[in-house]
Amino acid sequence: MNNNENMLSMFPRKLRKYWLVWWTSAKLSLSSNMATRGASGLFILGKLFRFGAFVYFLFVLGGGVNEVSGYNLSALIIFFLVFNLFDLFGQLFFRGIYRFRQQVVSGEFDFRLVKPISPLFQALTRHTDFLDIPLLLMVIVALVGNIDLVPAGSWWIFGLVSLAGFILITAIHVVVASLGVITTEVDHSIMIYRDLAMMARFPVDIYTDAIRGLLTFVIPIAIIFTYPAKAFLGLLTWENGLVAFGVSLLFLYISLKLWRYALTQYSSASS
Amino acid sequence: MSFGKYITATKVSWQAGFVYRLNFVMWRVRMVIQLLALYFLWLAITSKSPNAFGYDQATMLVYVLGSSVMRALVFSSRSIDVQGEISNGDLNNYLIKPLNYFRYWFFRDFADKALNIIFSIGELVVLFLLLRPPVIIQSDPLAWLGFLVMAPLAMILYYYFSLLISMTTFWYPEGDGWPQRFFVFTILESLSGGLFPLDILPAPVYSVLQNLPTAYFIFVPMQVYLGRIQGMELVGAIGVTVFWVLVLWWLARVVWHRGLKVYGAYGR
Repeated sequence: MNNNENMLSMFPRKLRKYWLVWWTSAKLSLSSNMATRGASGLFILGKLFRFGAFVYFLFVLGGGVNEVSGYNLSALIIFFLVFNLFDLFGQLFFRGIYRFRQQVVSGEFDFRLVKPISPLFQALTRHTDFLDIPLLLMVIVALVGNIDLVPAGSWWIFGLVSLAGFILITAIHVVVASLGVITTEVDHSIMIYRDLAMMARFPVDIYTDAIRGLLTFVIPIAIIFTYPAKAFLGLLTWENGLVAFGVSLLFLYISLKLWRYALTQYSSASS
Repeated sequence: MSFGKYITATKVSWQAGFVYRLNFVMWRVRMVIQLLALYFLWLAITSKSPNAFGYDQATMLVYVLGSSVMRALVFSSRSIDVQGEISNGDLNNYLIKPLNYFRYWFFRDFADKALNIIFSIGELVVLFLLLRPPVIIQSDPLAWLGFLVMAPLAMILYYYFSLLISMTTFWYPEGDGWPQRFFVFTILESLSGGLFPLDILPAPVYSVLQNLPTAYFIFVPMQVYLGRIQGMELVGAIGVTVFWVLVLWWLARVVWHRGLKVYGAYGR
């Protein structure tokens, strides 16, 4: 028994099985990236350019105006970094959703249903996007470099709303997968989520009350991206943190219910 | 030279736009979300700093809203499929037909642009009624005339630019040309003036960017509409756009002929 297996033996059998499935598919994703190095390089360069250009734009903004909706340049950069942290999390681990539609419309999803692994887990994690890792590392390093901005009493709030953010991202991807089964329209649903998420590159305070309400309670983009950034800056109360965590659990519950319903609607077309 | 077959291609493309209605509506929803994000960002900035970067609030918001129409006119295209046709060998179907491939896709693009423009203007009307933005409609007929000259030129310029990107697939067919396309998209986002007017950037950066063809997709036409480029400067801007159109047209023809020599019709 090697070290990896020794370590895994400590976990319950089911968890080990899922870990091994993810690990194997992640290795295959990495092999696929390595096989097309030129293409992977262009994707990474594009992502880095987009990130760098936006940070430069923030600096230009900071040079021309003192604040945007009460936030100075440093705060705006933190909002953008935290936005990237959570956005990249979804793209890195749940990239499989972008290829889910093809499985549904071709009937290939049938093969996922008969395997002894959750079809939802397969739909979401079938592909791990390692091309996001360079940018993710840069973002983490930049946030760690600014860690002194977090007030001592805000650490647990930041941790709590970050957890809420990760849960909500997972829930939204579950909803997208469900809509994919029901309507076969995954591509646009996930891109609409991405576009809505882009609205959180800046604090949601810049929007009107109606849009802010929509982005907080209907499609909780604000809780995913803006709340952790506010907690990082010590601007979020513990009450808001608890509400965010409660909302995330509620969303996850609803999304899983929707997924179960979606499976009953799967028509196995084209198979 | 008969244009009948190309007009038929336009009609077919137009009808195809209505076949996948949900697809198209979702695409437009995405465009509205992107527009709202930009609109509120600049509204927030100009509310506190009314003359930030040399733009008053009304001018900046007109720039943002007008850019969304320019995006629909310039960037919407079906000819993006050229890269896939090259990489999977479907190009063969066209090479044996009596049609000009460039012209065929130009006419197909026209239908897509018409559809997007109609929706884009409709969306703007709704947003105007809902948001009542403090904007001023241009009243100078010369600015309108300049804009009406610049906008089609920007469309043609982008057509050849996009074709050139697609034609890199002759040499690098990996991923149906999407890696190259993605990279160019990310650059266009910043260099075309779709996110912000390029002249808010520091002077040295702006002086470089304003001479690139990408500045003529959105930024320069919008400056003309706003009346910030007038008189001889306007004539110069039109001249530079025509120059870039001719350069990219010539480049596209050269690359096309060279590409056909290495074309392997893979997948066929």
